[in-house]
Amino acid sequence: MTDVQTVPAGDVRTDTDESVSPDRPWLVIVWNDPINLMSFVTFVFQKLFGYSKEKATKLMMDVHVKGRAVVSSGTRDRAELDVYRLHEHGLWATMEQSG
Amino acid sequence: MRLPDQVRKLLGSLAEQMIPMIDSDDPAATRLFPPAYVGTDTSEAEQQYRELVDGALHSHHHHAVQVLTETVTADSLSPDELAGWLSAIGSMRLVIGTRLDISEDMVDPAPGDPSEPEHAVFHLLGVLQATIIDVLGAELPDDGEPASAR
Repeated sequence: MTDVQTVPAGDVRTDTDESVSPDRPWLVIVWNDPINLMSFVTFVFQKLFGYSKEKATKLMMDVHVKGRAVVSSGTRDRAELDVYRLHEHGLWATMEQSG
Repeated sequence: MRLPDQVRKLLGSLAEQMIPMIDSDDPAATRLFPPAYVGTDTSEAEQQYRELVDGALHSHHHHAVQVLTETVTADSLSPDELAGWLSAIGSMRLVIGTRLDISEDMVDPAPGDPSEPEHAVFHLLGVLQATIIDVLGAELPDDGEPASAR
């Protein structure tokens, strides 16, 4: 047993976390890495998310300076798809639920 | 597309080396398959993500290297082919950069250092990648989101 939370009888859920806490979106995070070029990271943000060059550049600088930036958010499925698309482009992306 | 023959030969050779690398458990190759979940209590989610995407991600990397291999001597490239080059060259940089343990404040190796040729290849791939981004980036619409709405 690794789950420390107790579940009230009759309230056992078999669906995903998302429906348990629908108000907590999943955040897609890109982490700084020393290999990918800054211009490449900006390009990927523009291409994948349709961000303006200005917004993509700001996010890239956040990644570069702060070490990480939230680049999108949404349902768990949506976040997982975004992470996958970022992984296709070689970016270091992870996802976590907000809150 | 003007590219010296030596550069094309080098890219062809690197592409050939990438094919077995993508499917290997070489530590540098694992950089092509980053984790989606980090932190505590995420191993199950991570395992599910891997099962869901690993096949597609392997195919994606293989396809890009294949496009590069098939068009390495081409005089002109379609936008899709150029995107394949960008992806393949990006993967090569990740693998070589991981192997060289590249860091942001890294200085170039001294002349004669055994890692010098690989550093030179790493830098060349970066120049090629930046050139391709200039071309593909110029075609991106700059109105994806109203910048003033921030």
